[in-house]
Amino acid sequence: QNARSSKRRDWIKLIYSSSLSPEEIVRGDNPDSSNSLANEDNADDDDFFTLRPKTASVLNEDGDDTTKDALNEEELKQWEDEELLDSIRHLFITGSSSQ
Amino acid sequence: MATVSVLRFSGHQYLRHRLVLSILSGKPVRIDKIRPDDQNPGLRDYEVSLLRLLERITNGTVIEINVTGTAILLKPGIITGGNVTHECPLSRSIGYFLEPVVMLAPFSKKPLQLTLRGITSNDQDLSADLIRTVTLPHLQLFGISEGLELRIKKRGSPPLGGGEIQFLCPIIKQVKTLNFVEPGKIKRIRGIAHAVRVSPQFSNRMIETSRSVLNRYIPDIYLYSDVYKGEDSGKSPGYALSLLAESTTGAVHCSEVVSRPGTAPEDIALLASRALLSEIKKGGCVDRKHQTLILLFMVLGSEDVGRCKMGEPTARTIQFLRDVRDAFGTSFKIVPSDPSDPTSSELLFSCYGTGYVNANRSLA
Repeated sequence: QNARSSKRRDWIKLIYSSSLSPEEIVRGDNPDSSNSLANEDNADDDDFFTLRPKTASVLNEDGDDTTKDALNEEELKQWEDEELLDSIRHLFITGSSSQ
Repeated sequence: MATVSVLRFSGHQYLRHRLVLSILSGKPVRIDKIRPDDQNPGLRDYEVSLLRLLERITNGTVIEINVTGTAILLKPGIITGGNVTHECPLSRSIGYFLEPVVMLAPFSKKPLQLTLRGITSNDQDLSADLIRTVTLPHLQLFGISEGLELRIKKRGSPPLGGGEIQFLCPIIKQVKTLNFVEPGKIKRIRGIAHAVRVSPQFSNRMIETSRSVLNRYIPDIYLYSDVYKGEDSGKSPGYALSLLAESTTGAVHCSEVVSRPGTAPEDIALLASRALLSEIKKGGCVDRKHQTLILLFMVLGSEDVGRCKMGEPTARTIQFLRDVRDAFGTSFKIVPSDPSDPTSSELLFSCYGTGYVNANRSLA
């Protein structure tokens, strides 16, 4: 679907020996570039109260353990395009196999 | 006596497949940090309800929940099956409960006859229609077919539900090894449109719109308008369209969109049809929503190499693969299915089956 997927990814390594979360893997992050989250600067915090980082469990309230992914309506709009519609014709028995 | 290793997980996500893996592998599972920072911490009502359901279809399962509900320990018993009725809370649909049960039921002691009441389709989990038309045929790939049935007795739309389904599942001794690498070409499209407590014309309007998108590809399209009347149509109005595309080799891709307040049936149908095209475009032999089911049965297969071609794994699938390794020690080999074609994103998943035998099965 984008440039990342054409650049062959090593799924075995991503799944079994990286510490990336499944969401990060799907988004297309690489194991090498995942350190950005770690160095959050809270050096200038002289407040007594600190803001809790918004973890996934807080943000993702009703998005938990669902089988059907939420449909991205904007992304599905791309199917208005005739060229795209024709591009999958070869997946049907009626389409020619040469395409 | 050997000490049994405990599976340990954190967080409320992926609860269902973790419980399934625990019960199938016989290893206790401990899950902590269940929404610890939430305003309303701990397990949700539907999660507690799922634990109750699992307790019912098994014998000897011990479930401990801490006071705040943020940690659970489940010591699995044996899967007994039999005749079970369960009221599902209205916070999730029947699909939420049925999906894990489908993974367990073939390994029961006695064939399972499960009646579930609640919401039959919502936009989070597989609807009763998709489970009947897509999930159950997937089980047939593994030799589970005779007597496998799902009946939708009553429909129930959110928010009030009122639906009822009956799920019948035979038991098997062992799962067949899967070898499914030929996606084939799409030869037919089927669909079910249903509309309850709204104008029955809504079904026809959805069917017409969907045809206008899909007819360009293939003439063999049959979209069925499923009519439920009176009591059988549940307590709330709603409508939905579920579509499936079947290939020459039996690969099935599906999509589904459920009505939301204020959306026209035409928009629902358009979304569902386009979602089906996206699904078909992703390729592979297995629908994305069913990746985990297929991979689980591949792991349980006889001691031989099972192979299956799929599209890229979803986040759920990735976590599932990691958890399977914890529970069964099985890791998959995942390679591009067609190394010569850089545009293809299809992957070949293969693993060595664990030779899982249904030890619960009563011999009679």
